[in-house]
Amino acid sequence: MAKVHAYPRKQFFLEMFTRDISLEDCVLDLIDNSMDSLLRNRNIDIEGQVLGSSNGKQQAKSISPAQITVKYSQDQFEITDNCGGIPRKEAEQDVFCFGHSTAEPKGKLGVYGIGLKRAIFKIGNKIDVISRTTEGSFTVSIDVHKWSEKDDSLDDWTFPITKTEPAVSQHKAGTSITISELRPEVKIRMTNGTLETTLSNAVGQTYPAFLDSLVRVKINKADVEKTDLPFGGSDDIEPGIDTFEENGVKVTLLATLAPKDKRIQEIAGWYVLCNGRVVVLHDKTDLTGWGIGMPAFHSKYRGFVGIALFTSANPMLLPWNTSKRGLNKEAVIYQKARNRMAGISRPVISFLNEMYPSELPERPVEREIAERVVQKDFRPLINAESKKFEVVRTTPKIKKLKVQYDADLTDIERIRKKLRRPGMPASSIGRLTFEHYLKTECPE
Amino acid sequence: MQPSESFHKVSYDLRPAKQIERRMLIDACQKLSLAGFPISDYQYTGMGSIYFVDFILFHKLLGIDKLVSVEISTSITKRLKFNKPFQQVEIQVCPIGDVIPQLSRDRRHILWLDYDGVICSEYLTDVVLAGTYLTTGSILLITVDVEPPGGESPADWRDYFITEAGDYLGTGKGAKDFTRTNLTEKNISILNRAIMRGLVGREAEFIPLFNFAYADGHRMLTLGGMIGTEQERRQVHSSSLVKTPFYRPSFGTAPYEIHVPRLTRKERLYLDGYMPCNEKWKPKDFELPPDAVLAYREIYRFFPAYAELLL
Repeated sequence: MAKVHAYPRKQFFLEMFTRDISLEDCVLDLIDNSMDSLLRNRNIDIEGQVLGSSNGKQQAKSISPAQITVKYSQDQFEITDNCGGIPRKEAEQDVFCFGHSTAEPKGKLGVYGIGLKRAIFKIGNKIDVISRTTEGSFTVSIDVHKWSEKDDSLDDWTFPITKTEPAVSQHKAGTSITISELRPEVKIRMTNGTLETTLSNAVGQTYPAFLDSLVRVKINKADVEKTDLPFGGSDDIEPGIDTFEENGVKVTLLATLAPKDKRIQEIAGWYVLCNGRVVVLHDKTDLTGWGIGMPAFHSKYRGFVGIALFTSANPMLLPWNTSKRGLNKEAVIYQKARNRMAGISRPVISFLNEMYPSELPERPVEREIAERVVQKDFRPLINAESKKFEVVRTTPKIKKLKVQYDADLTDIERIRKKLRRPGMPASSIGRLTFEHYLKTECPE
Repeated sequence: MQPSESFHKVSYDLRPAKQIERRMLIDACQKLSLAGFPISDYQYTGMGSIYFVDFILFHKLLGIDKLVSVEISTSITKRLKFNKPFQQVEIQVCPIGDVIPQLSRDRRHILWLDYDGVICSEYLTDVVLAGTYLTTGSILLITVDVEPPGGESPADWRDYFITEAGDYLGTGKGAKDFTRTNLTEKNISILNRAIMRGLVGREAEFIPLFNFAYADGHRMLTLGGMIGTEQERRQVHSSSLVKTPFYRPSFGTAPYEIHVPRLTRKERLYLDGYMPCNEKWKPKDFELPPDAVLAYREIYRFFPAYAELLL
């Protein structure tokens, strides 16, 4: 039978593939690679040591946090880690392939088998990957222009690998990727002065569950500070928790109030994490159920914070998209979770509705409660029983309403004249007249 | 005042069509019970207000012991407690949407979202939650007012629905799709889509059972069905509910209209003596149009008799 060609083309991977992601996404993808080495080499399990209550404990006692260093100038980009390195066999058979075979991905954060390649191709032309484990080491050097010239058969889809000496200790084991001959558009970004800030923010926001306890990231010599998820708690409130497990994915949903000092519209909303990596930040759109099972977002909900955690031994089952900075909202597990995210947030939404009632009491008790909410770690709650968000009201409801109205200045003057108090403030006149009516017309 | 007008006024206060609907729902539950659904073990969650009419019927006629009434107004909590008819009625004062996610996953439910207003986004979020959380075998009932919302013309009504139910409108978004005669159908499709959204990712579907329309004053719609799998569907199909005139296995067909013919007490007693009559039968002793006879034939078993009681 005659056949048509359906070969891959190198130009497709080099030019098309790299358009859909930002430089920040690329760096995060490279950090994911390092993180995966760390998780594998130190045998760290996501649920227990990253998201569970034992976060960092084991690490702190035995080994200090690993280090990932990102350095760049207008000539060169470099990422180095001491996360344990990539086994040579894996490099030969899997790491440099475009896409994984049908077997389960080996990493927990690397999913699709495109991140590393897409990132290095996006950044520059000359790439050197050196990786050392305690058992063996390798170097892969790529000249992208040269590599792309020959594209006649699948045999041209290889990179030369050189074996080198293994790392002398676990501490020295790690990977380093150096990229030079940067692409012109990348050069411009690297010199425009804002990249350091955006990169550092992106890393801090993406890995709060990993940073400090398991790993430290440096960008051009400065340590990245993690951005904690604004999860609030106090003696007055108990966060809502809902958990379920389906088709190999464990889902944990948390809904609570933001800490007092983080009750800011910009950071309110839902945070979605896949295997501990933040994929969606402070979302207030229908992506996370606003306007579907929840009301549409309104400024009065700026005290709302929800966290949706998806974990799986097979990251392919998680609902993230290929940039891992967004969701595949068609994923069945996510569609189901989104409905339940709405359910777990309803009592928090009702609380906030009462906090900003249409008829304004002097000071709703909800405000007192919200004032006492402080930053808490959500991780101890991960394995707790499902329960709804609840308020243990410690102050009784205040039965007061504010009375406010406009009055003509001439009428106010008449009252002042009658009272012979020309300077009496309007608010005192309001109170006096109200009390007068109460006393004369509605005596107790 | 004309006699018919005065009768109409009395009947409006007592809401006979609503009562007929309740009795038909109870009849249906009894039939489902015979087909193997353990209705008396179900939990009934409704909005009992201060009257608890449905709670009294569900407890007395279906034997349901687990009863939860949800009330949004915080200003009548004492009145609610004072009026609750049985000690096992649990009263929760909060929006119904806060309660739905907490409904026990270990039992089956009858949940009646008995709204008295026109569909709005808040009702729809409740409906989505019901689809998400109700266990299989549970029965979901939704009542809404299907009169035109505020505004003068179909174009105004359309704008209202786009704001409140935009995601659930499907394709027909012209003003002509929102004429008075189309509104019932529009409401049905909105509610149906909201239920579907709630069921996403679950191994369950919505099995339509009821679609009542009536007007004790405002025109109202009650949609109902069971959250279930193929097994529940087969079980429903094996019940004698499917033989009743008010059974609606699809929301594509017209609603069952509850017509309450205006009759005197003496006329009713006379008619009852001939019920159920055949198609052609008509009373010999007074005039009554054939459609009124047929309407009466369908509802006489469920039609409440009202009398003055001196207490």
